[in-house]
Amino acid sequence: MDGDSSTTDASQLGMTGEYMASSHFVLHAQDDEGDDGLNDHEDGNECKDNLREQDIYLPIANVARIMKNAIPQTGKIAKDAKECVQECVSEFISFITSEASERCHQEKRKTINGEDILFAMSTLGFDMYVEPLKLYLQKFREAMKGEKGISTVTVTEGMGDELTDESFANPLPAGIITADGQQQNVMVYTTAYQQIPGVQQLQFS
Amino acid sequence: MSETNMEEKVDQTTNSRTISLPISRVRLIMKSSPDVSCINQDALFLTTKATELFVQHLALSSYENGSSKDTNSLSYSDLADTVEETETFQFLTDILPKKILARDYLKTLEEMEKEDDNL
Repeated sequence: MDGDSSTTDASQLGMTGEYMASSHFVLHAQDDEGDDGLNDHEDGNECKDNLREQDIYLPIANVARIMKNAIPQTGKIAKDAKECVQECVSEFISFITSEASERCHQEKRKTINGEDILFAMSTLGFDMYVEPLKLYLQKFREAMKGEKGISTVTVTEGMGDELTDESFANPLPAGIITADGQQQNVMVYTTAYQQIPGVQQLQFS
Repeated sequence: MSETNMEEKVDQTTNSRTISLPISRVRLIMKSSPDVSCINQDALFLTTKATELFVQHLALSSYENGSSKDTNSLSYSDLADTVEETETFQFLTDILPKKILARDYLKTLEEMEKEDDNL
C-alpha cells in the first residue's frame, strides 16, 4: 500500500519530484520488493533519473504467470521474452488509452469511460476482445450489486431479530427491506420505543 | 486453428472474476499518456482485463507461430516474428526489433554496397 501511494506521487514528478529529497526515493526503493518496483530494478539511487514515462511496467511475475497459463503446460518461456512482453503490455495500455482519450477530447468530455475503451479496441483491431470484455463487465457489475444487496439485508435482518422479541408479525422484516423500509422502521419502533433502549439509536439513523 | 484456441482461452478468462494484474499500476500507465485527465472505474477494469487478454493472445500466437515445435519454449524471436506478421500487433514493431547477428548485418551491408556499385 505504501508502495502504491509513493509511486502515484512519482508519476507527478515534474517539480514535486525534484523538490523531494532524493533520500525519499532511496527509502521507497529499498522498501520495494522486486515485483512492486516500477522498473523492477534494484538501483535505488538511480530511481529518480530512470523514472521516465516509458519505464512504467506491470510486475513481471504477474505478466509471466499469465503467459504461462496461456501456452501449453509443458512450454517454457525465455527470460527476454517475458521482459519483452512486459514492455509490450505498457505499450498496449498506452495505445488504447491515447485512442480513447482522443475520442473523449473530440466529444468534449473529460472522463474516459468504458465505452471509450471498447470503441478504441474495436478501432485498433482488437475487436475480438470486445464481446468477452462486455460480458466480464456485466458479471463484475452484478457481483458489485450483489455485495451491496447483502449488506443492506444484513442490517435489516439484525433489526428484525430484535423486533421479533417483541412478538411483531413476521412480515415486518420483509417490509423493512422495501424502499419505504425506513419509514416503516420508525413507525414500528415507536411502539417498542419504551421497551428496548437500543432501538432509540436506530431511530436517529 | 489457433483462433479457435484463442477463443477458448478468452472464454476461460471471462469466466474467472479475478484479475491478476495490479489495477493501480495500470492506472499509472494510463495516466502517463498525454492529455489524460480522469479515468472512469469501468474503463480501468476493462483496460486491466483487456491487458490480460492481450498477454494471452500475444503469448499463445507467438508460441504456436514460432519455433516452439522444436524447442518447446517461447523465445524473443518468436515474439518478434509474430509481431511482424500479424497486423493486429504491428504497433509493437518499434519496440520489438528483430535481433540479427552482427556478422549477418555486415554481410547484408556488403551486398547492398555491391549492388550500388553495379548500378
